[in-house]
Amino acid sequence: MESRWSRIIAAGLALLVTAAIGVLLAGGIQQTGEQDPVTFAYHEVADVLALILAVSMIVAIITYLVVEWVQTRRLDSLSHQFSTRTFALIPIAIALNIILGQTVVAAIKLPIYLDSIGTILVGVLAGPLAGALTGFLGNVLWAYVIPPPFQYAPAAAFAVVAATIGLLAGIFARASLLRPRPDQPINRLVMAGIGTAVVIAGLAYLASLGYTTAFGGPPTIAPAPNNEVFDNGLFIVLGWLAVALVIGTVLGLFVILFVRRDLTAAYVVICGAATGIVAALVSAPIAAGVFGGVTGGGTDFLVAAFRSAGLSVGQATLGQGLISDPIDKITTFFVVYLIVSAMARRTKARFPQGERLLEEGDAPTAEGDGWRGATA
Amino acid sequence: MGRPGPSAYHRLNPLTKATVATVTAIAAVALGGVVGPIILAAAAVLSPALVAGVLGRLARLSLLLALPIALSAFIVNLFFFPGAEQVLLRIGPITATGEGLRFAIEILVRILAISGAVTLFYLTTRAGDLTVDLERRGVSSRVAFVANASVQTVPTMVERASLITDAQRARGLDTEGSMWRRIRGVVPIVGPVILGSIAEVEERTMALEARGFTRPGRRTLLWTPADSARQAAVRWGLVVGLLALIVARVTGVFG
Repeated sequence: MESRWSRIIAAGLALLVTAAIGVLLAGGIQQTGEQDPVTFAYHEVADVLALILAVSMIVAIITYLVVEWVQTRRLDSLSHQFSTRTFALIPIAIALNIILGQTVVAAIKLPIYLDSIGTILVGVLAGPLAGALTGFLGNVLWAYVIPPPFQYAPAAAFAVVAATIGLLAGIFARASLLRPRPDQPINRLVMAGIGTAVVIAGLAYLASLGYTTAFGGPPTIAPAPNNEVFDNGLFIVLGWLAVALVIGTVLGLFVILFVRRDLTAAYVVICGAATGIVAALVSAPIAAGVFGGVTGGGTDFLVAAFRSAGLSVGQATLGQGLISDPIDKITTFFVVYLIVSAMARRTKARFPQGERLLEEGDAPTAEGDGWRGATA
Repeated sequence: MGRPGPSAYHRLNPLTKATVATVTAIAAVALGGVVGPIILAAAAVLSPALVAGVLGRLARLSLLLALPIALSAFIVNLFFFPGAEQVLLRIGPITATGEGLRFAIEILVRILAISGAVTLFYLTTRAGDLTVDLERRGVSSRVAFVANASVQTVPTMVERASLITDAQRARGLDTEGSMWRRIRGVVPIVGPVILGSIAEVEERTMALEARGFTRPGRRTLLWTPADSARQAAVRWGLVVGLLALIVARVTGVFG
């Protein structure tokens, strides 16, 4: 459909133009301030970039919708995404976000969040804007309306981040990236395995750089003997738990890759890493500016570690984000992929983007819209 | 729904109360420092709480809410503030610094103001009232449904999880053994909760469509919270005041 491509191109152009204007207004990508020793990112630049990114995304969405309106006098992409089934799914997704997120932030104290499983699920099944709405509304409700013990006041400030995550998940699924690809020839699987291993190794290297910066020595499970603060059994246990979670996800991904011979595991890693990096960029300035880097969860330990190494608040939150978010989002995408794989084909296909989650050979049934509409 | 609230503050329009809460939270961040948020909290959180008669519950709940974050913020900033000169005390290898203490108090006051504002809103507003009011003002009834359903689904899902936990324990699942056993026990509980909820989506969809959910246009509301021109003026005044505050801070008027 040429009209759809022209909309996408228009939105893409709008994104680039807005980003360019933003960069020009900000005086070019100057390397001001201090460099984060872990990621070599300049956090002040990262803050500005995050703002530019958020604004550009909004402009791109509006452009897409405006072009669609001009072309067809209707907003079919909106109404298609927001079917009744979507509205029935969103409360469950929001509840999932809140329950898991609250457990991790209040009880488990791991340096991850796990509060986006519902958002990404809706994004993948229903569409980018539905995912964005789920994220935004979920965070606002989590902070203001949900009663204690599940209430979490800082969530409202990160509503924009959650919206971005839902948007990205929807776009990735729309591009059929998360379609199962079973029974692949072994050479493709090996290449995907290598690619996945490279991405994971890169993230692990970043994390160990961060560990070195914060703790002043190469990563070990036991703290270095002359280490100032972290001679504490709690950190060792947390370290083991975090490692166990990461190993579990990595193992699970390789199982999908080589036992089920499903190439999509590699795409899960890439989507998760990309979403994680964007989420970290957008959330770091909020965490630093509003909460001084501390939001009550296990990620605060990472921020504390970076601060003890002498970094500013902005650098510490950016460093923490660039470590926690990709891990968290890869794990979340993996869990969502597991959920979607466990759903029956018929159940999946009825969701607005469900067809993009079926394998290539599963063409939609000939019954067409009448059956899927399920109304009179 | 429809019963008048016990105090004048309760009887305010929910959008007014929500505006107060949001403006207070944002202003607490924009003001910065320690004195500003304290005055703000006294004016916008404690005084209305006194009028509404919820001061005790407010103090208890918002302190509970803020406790984990406040503790984290305090420890992290007190002991790990880099580049600080003024040493207050040493506990072994850890030093508490004066600058760290100042920053920690600043963040603490801000967090207390935000959690106080949010808790005040929660205590004085019934959840359904806000969505009904927004629906009267033109928010789509579907979004209102989503908001209400989400709030309802959280306790439902927790209850379902405990039901499934009981069922799995009857089948021999170990929920009290070692850490490893408990982690292994997560999947047989979380899996059915999630998949069961998704299966429920089908039924909910049909129920919604049977009730005319997709019918275009607005619903007739039998009851809406009262509103007045004065409250509308106050709301706009608060928003304008907040914007002025932000502009003043950004352009350095307050320094």
